[in-house]
Amino acid sequence: MDSLLVRSAQELFSRHASSEAVRAIRAGGSPGSLWGELENSGFLDALVPEEAGGIGLGPAEALPVLIAAGRFAVPLPLGETMLARAVLGGAGEAVPQGAILLGEAYGDAARVPAFARADWVLLPRDEAALLLPAGAAVEDEAAGSPLGRVLRWPEGAGRRVPAGDLLVAGAWAEIAVMAGAMERILEDTVRHAQDRQQFGRPVASFQAVQQQISVMTEDVFASRMAAQLASVADGDGVARLNPVRIAAAKLRVGEAAVRVAAIGHAVHGAMGITEEVDLHLLTGHLQAGRMRFGGEAHWGAWLGRRFLADNTGETLAFVRAQLGPAAPEASA
Amino acid sequence: MIGALPLAAIPPEDEALRPEIRAFLQEAVGEIPPERRARSWMGFDPGFSRKLAGRGWLGLTFPKEYGGAGRGAFARYVLVEELLAAGAPVSAHWIADRQSGPLIQRFGTEEQRRFYLPRICRAEAFFCIGMSEPNTGSDLASVTTRAVREGDGWRLNGAKIWTTNAQHSHYMIALVRTSGAPGDRHKGLSQIIVDLHAPGVRISPIRDLAGDAHFSEVVFEDVLLPGDALIGEEGSGWMQVNAELAFERSGPERVLSSAVLLDEWANWLREVGAGEAAEALLGRLIAHLAVLRAMSIAVTGRLVEGESPIVEAALVKDLGTEFEQMIPTVIAETLARPGLVAPGSLMRTLAYTAAIAPSFSLRGGTREILRGMIARGMGLR
Repeated sequence: MDSLLVRSAQELFSRHASSEAVRAIRAGGSPGSLWGELENSGFLDALVPEEAGGIGLGPAEALPVLIAAGRFAVPLPLGETMLARAVLGGAGEAVPQGAILLGEAYGDAARVPAFARADWVLLPRDEAALLLPAGAAVEDEAAGSPLGRVLRWPEGAGRRVPAGDLLVAGAWAEIAVMAGAMERILEDTVRHAQDRQQFGRPVASFQAVQQQISVMTEDVFASRMAAQLASVADGDGVARLNPVRIAAAKLRVGEAAVRVAAIGHAVHGAMGITEEVDLHLLTGHLQAGRMRFGGEAHWGAWLGRRFLADNTGETLAFVRAQLGPAAPEASA
Repeated sequence: MIGALPLAAIPPEDEALRPEIRAFLQEAVGEIPPERRARSWMGFDPGFSRKLAGRGWLGLTFPKEYGGAGRGAFARYVLVEELLAAGAPVSAHWIADRQSGPLIQRFGTEEQRRFYLPRICRAEAFFCIGMSEPNTGSDLASVTTRAVREGDGWRLNGAKIWTTNAQHSHYMIALVRTSGAPGDRHKGLSQIIVDLHAPGVRISPIRDLAGDAHFSEVVFEDVLLPGDALIGEEGSGWMQVNAELAFERSGPERVLSSAVLLDEWANWLREVGAGEAAEALLGRLIAHLAVLRAMSIAVTGRLVEGESPIVEAALVKDLGTEFEQMIPTVIAETLARPGLVAPGSLMRTLAYTAAIAPSFSLRGGTREILRGMIARGMGLR
């Protein structure tokens, strides 16, 4: 099941999310064709419970699809739509057509990624959420930045819907996409180092370059592992995500993202800064993803407090009980 | 390019060992002050090793016919994890249990297995490993200590240095040249077992910056060894050593060397409360610990399935030792506040761990060597 899903995701993105297609959508072109493919693929209902008409997969099974999306820098909220549909479908709410972004409260407005295109924004509001039509939003350009557009709706807009912890859900989607983006950056960087000649030999043959790419490899593997740990469904939130796991993974992936982006650009000799090289599409995702749904300091303090309030004892015991590679009942 | 590591979990039958081990450790090491427990796998106490042997926890993975418990790698993982988290003084039997025993089991003759393995399980045979020499560090193939055939046995001359526990051990497994010249590199190297009480062996302990003497220089002057001192094939020393090192790169000992300090600090924060900055650092360390542990268990899972995840193991060791070094660094940072009063035992634990931490990324393969291995795995060399 898992490998079939990954294969079909990779095939879909190879065909419909080429660098040109991604760039066209980012530049304001219609995402309709790529989105249509995603709708037809069935991925969107992967996390919706079976009793609500979905496929009823868990986060661990959906993870490889989002990692693949991250590898292609897909500028559409695939993971977030999957999560939003799980929230709405699970609560018996009508699920709208189209892409749904998870917005973050930004004062009385919503912050959403600058490059992502969507039809709806699901915004936490007073223990529930508002499902808001993206087309009706007014953009606050003075408050916006490449790290996020700031959107505002007229009073009374949108439909009030019940919602779980959307911060945790959104963080999981970012963890997955960022882990995927880092895998692709590693591959691109290795290939560049092998192809690019300087001083009469490939830059990959220089020990200083090899050591940097080794550090990058470590961070990429750690991030993949963090994403897998975050996808163990032993919580009681959206898709049974567990905030303790999300805290640890978002922090670890955020830390890795900084180093991976820096080494990627360094080994590319800053060529990735130029518009035409894809590297900046991926590092741009990392930069934005790190800022969304809580960064390292937020989740670090959250996790530290959680540990201090817990009576499990030493750090290893806490990690075994709450952050193990399997759900506690499976390893107890 | 190497593939992602699938998550692996410790099987329930191995997890089941944990409560008994924890109860034993509570009793056996609970009273030892943290600055001693911080020695982690450098803490030497033969009495403790004998107690573990009494519980059947030495040679846990050795076959029963040789005195072992016949358990798998994950059972040992649970045992080692608890021993290191508690800061138990495991050093006396550590090398025999972790490396020498498995090496003898794999490459030794039936007579060698029957002689050494039961003694290791009873904590009666402690081992050290003779690899480094005065002029041989990371470039291990350049060893010059030489064993020459003499009658049915061997005559050994040369010197080993930085040999952990040589002064306390019964035996050394040494990497020596048995044929050819240093220029032949990997060819002509063999592993031999040296009885450290044999005439001609001179051991001089070397004192370290913490006042401990856990390693020694060992000089061999015309040491006569029997023919069965050779372990494995003559000339296969290099291959055997590499097989041995692959197993020692990814275990809990590459993640938990600073665990006693981390827990002392965390326990103190629980008592006195923590500000946002300390909470964030604590959370950061816990996040790293969780991910590293999952990676280490995943590599163990691969080993159990008979694979040789050499590059993945190198990744875990480099990241793990970086984490072990990060712990004293960030804890020192939070404790260095004008006017802040912290317990003396915490400060002594910090002092020891911070001073010894640079060695974490040197022992068992330096950071640069490991990164070179990763680069090779990525197709860069």
